[in-house]
Amino acid sequence: MPSQNSPDDRIALLQGTLDLLILRTLLLGACHGQGIARSIQRQSEEVFFVDHGSLYLALQRLEDKKWISAKWGVSENNRKARFYSLTPRGRRQLVEKTSEWQRLTRAMGLILAARPNSEQA
Amino acid sequence: MFRRRRSADDFAEEIKSHIELQADDLQCEGLSEEEACRRARVEFGSAQVAQERFYLRSRIVWFDNLLHDVKFAIRQLIRNPGFTCVAIVTLALGIAANTTIFSWINSTLLDPIPGIAHTSDMITIMRGERSEHPTPPFSYMDYADLRDNARSFAGLLAYHHDYMAITDSGKPERIYGTLVSSNYFEVLGLHPILGRTLASTARNERLGVAEAVLGYGLWKDHFGADPSIIGKTVHINLHPYTIVGVAPEGFQGCNGGLRSDLWIPLGMDSQIWGFDRPRHRDVFWLNVLGKLKPGVDHRRAEDELNSLMQGLVERFPDAHKGPNTISSDPLWRSPFNINVYLYGTLPVLFALALVLLLLACANLANLLLVRSVARRREFAIRLSIGANRWTLVLQLMVENALIALAGAGLALLLTKWTAHGLSAFLPLTTLPLTLNGRVDGTVLAAAIIISLLTAALSGLLPALRASRLALDPVSALKEEALNTSGGIHKSRLAGGLVVGQIALSLLLLVCAGLFARTLQRAEDSYPGFDPSHVFLASFDLKPMGYSRAQGIEFDKQMLVRLKSLPGVQSVTLGDFSPLSYTIHTDFIQPEGYVPARNESMEVDRGVVGPEYLGTVRTALLAGRDFTERDNAGAPRISIINKALADRYWPGQDPIGKRLQVAGDWTTVVGVAANGKYRRLVYDTAPLVLIPMFQSYRADQIVYVRVTGDPMAYASAVERTIHGLNADLPLFGETTLAANMRIGNAFERIAAAFAGSFGLLALILAAVGVYGVVAYATRQRTHEIGIRLALGAGKRDVFRQVLGRGLRFAGLGLLLGLIISFALTRYLRGMLYGVGAEDWLTFVIVAILLCAATLIACFVPARRAASIDPMQALRTE
Repeated sequence: MPSQNSPDDRIALLQGTLDLLILRTLLLGACHGQGIARSIQRQSEEVFFVDHGSLYLALQRLEDKKWISAKWGVSENNRKARFYSLTPRGRRQLVEKTSEWQRLTRAMGLILAARPNSEQA
Repeated sequence: MFRRRRSADDFAEEIKSHIELQADDLQCEGLSEEEACRRARVEFGSAQVAQERFYLRSRIVWFDNLLHDVKFAIRQLIRNPGFTCVAIVTLALGIAANTTIFSWINSTLLDPIPGIAHTSDMITIMRGERSEHPTPPFSYMDYADLRDNARSFAGLLAYHHDYMAITDSGKPERIYGTLVSSNYFEVLGLHPILGRTLASTARNERLGVAEAVLGYGLWKDHFGADPSIIGKTVHINLHPYTIVGVAPEGFQGCNGGLRSDLWIPLGMDSQIWGFDRPRHRDVFWLNVLGKLKPGVDHRRAEDELNSLMQGLVERFPDAHKGPNTISSDPLWRSPFNINVYLYGTLPVLFALALVLLLLACANLANLLLVRSVARRREFAIRLSIGANRWTLVLQLMVENALIALAGAGLALLLTKWTAHGLSAFLPLTTLPLTLNGRVDGTVLAAAIIISLLTAALSGLLPALRASRLALDPVSALKEEALNTSGGIHKSRLAGGLVVGQIALSLLLLVCAGLFARTLQRAEDSYPGFDPSHVFLASFDLKPMGYSRAQGIEFDKQMLVRLKSLPGVQSVTLGDFSPLSYTIHTDFIQPEGYVPARNESMEVDRGVVGPEYLGTVRTALLAGRDFTERDNAGAPRISIINKALADRYWPGQDPIGKRLQVAGDWTTVVGVAANGKYRRLVYDTAPLVLIPMFQSYRADQIVYVRVTGDPMAYASAVERTIHGLNADLPLFGETTLAANMRIGNAFERIAAAFAGSFGLLALILAAVGVYGVVAYATRQRTHEIGIRLALGAGKRDVFRQVLGRGLRFAGLGLLLGLIISFALTRYLRGMLYGVGAEDWLTFVIVAILLCAATLIACFVPARRAASIDPMQALRTE
């Protein structure tokens, strides 16, 4: 069996983070849904578990917002697949969201790394 | 926000491709093809769920569901036409009762000045004692002072209305016109559809300019809607007026219920009627209406007017001897328009209509309960294949809403017809009454709101009850298969509804009974004269150009000629006719009587011709009747009624006493028996009569007492009068008996509506009892069959079923009596000659209702007793 964390170690994606990850993945080029899921799972070293239902819902949502566009194409192993790619508007969003996320994680890090006070040693 | 919507198929395709791609990957990692496919599918999770989620997010789901529910409900209702029709008709009757009354409220209390949309910041202003029939309370000079000094108002307008005539041709045409203050149209915010309103300068107001604004109706009917009417001349009471404007359609002046045909400046009083009242401070003839400044409370305005009025009273004490307290009313209950008679009655009728609707709801709820039992299998199946409780409740509520909306539609059709019913209660009189309901957007909205509330009220309990199956659909299915009876809960709820129905219908019947007895008492009460065999006709000599002396001469000749007609017993004249809202008032000062400070000395006053008392057959208690010799040359005299004598000269002989009437001293020559002059339900009030030939009125009613049918004399009377003046128009030809029917119009309205609501309530309650007892009996056919087979007698079964019905009746009656006793006291103001706790009414109603219940139970009881036990057991 391929290296895969046991279900208990996987983290369900936080609300809103999936959108960001999809945009980031598509920065590397057009990709179909399964490819995006695989890519996110692999790159997070199998920590993130992508619920496929949510993934397709998110793709649909991003498409409605015109951050990504989609068209049917053929995959490298000759299967018909729906390929998603980043639109200019999506690219702008990615930049914005990324910096937002970095500020968030920095702030979280600061709080979590702070030394606890004496009350609960 | 959606572009071209993606199809669900396209999405399914994408999911399929995802699973294939995933399988490919897994195969690459070394799994067998079969295992890879399986794993890919498992990992994806439920493709079904994903597709469903896609579907759900791509449309307005609740709307889809609702549409589906509506379609399903319509199918259900069509499949059961009997139930559907009964339910719709039941609700339609209940809703129609409400929309009818509401249509009247809407066009009277809620629309006090037709044609003016916004009236909530307007108040009518009253000076002196409050009454249902106040005389105009202000003199022009007082009004002008108040208007110029009051700070609380955006404007104070004044008007006086009365009959006038258009005298462009030889034959005058009678109209009802209004003299108005110069700011009248400005305060009302009314813009003419043609021309302008009256020129508004103080000079115009006091001295008058001969300008007129036409009412829309007059413009259309009399002037053929002439678009170039502005600048033309119309003759009013023989004087030329320039037409300067035409009021918009619908506007009829600001005296709700009375139609004004045209408007001219206050200052034209002397020209039109020859009084010149604007010059006096002690002649009270104006109605005043104020528009409050934004944010000013009407109490504050009232206080301000009171302090201003106080100043006027101090400066001019002689002109203000009576009570001078100022009070104000919003227009919906203004004492100066017809609302004063309606604002008590209509809300009570509306409350009764709501009770009727509640009854209809209870009936429908019972029908729904029965139906929901019959539909248990359907519900159970739907629940067991995944519907949840709330979708089921929603589905049933949608069905109810459809029934209620259909009911509302039918009700509105009925209302279109009944809305005009209000005027049917008002006999045609010479008063320009315009009282009617109408169906407009507000009524439509009310009908929809009422029907949806109805649907919720009648449907919620049965729907919740039905959805209880959700707790255990399996056993429900099983139960259904075993066909056991409806369940104890259902019958208890239904029983409760029936008890409630009987109680509510008792309440409605008691109200109906009380109003019917009031009407009966009023009609049986002796009005103080004999209204049969008297023919009435009105005419007005003023627009014919008669002087006072010519008028008196005309009258004398007319009386002689009419009296000589065969079959005519006696003839007289009056400036009013009793019980038709036409009597006037005057201020009196009885000799030797010292009024208390601020006591109102205003009493009913009639100007009548010779032999008045003899013609209307009012008993003369002392002294004599008027004769032809009581003319301008003779000493001034008066006749009073007993109530006036008792009040001002108690224990004394009034004959020969001196009595000042409207400033003139008269000698009392007769005392008449008491009578009713305004409404039959009023207490007797003091009255003074003065002779026509001493205090002349050109606007007269001729009374002709005849043998036989009065209307048979109409043409003879017309011919006789036209023999004296062929051009004199006669109007208001009627009988005294018919004419006085307007005097109890409001009692008849209350009795007719409460009565029909009561009857409907009785029917609904009987049908409700029948339905529940019959249903319960049918459910228990099996049980009854067993009991009969085991030897119970038919009489026992009969008695048991009947007893069940009577138990409902007993409980319902008890509850109804308690409710009625608690509530009827609020009707007291509308009752006459009967107490609010009149035991006779209660007993009769209770017996009636009991009988109806018995009859309703009788049929199912008979059916139960005639059950063939063998057949009953076999069919089960």
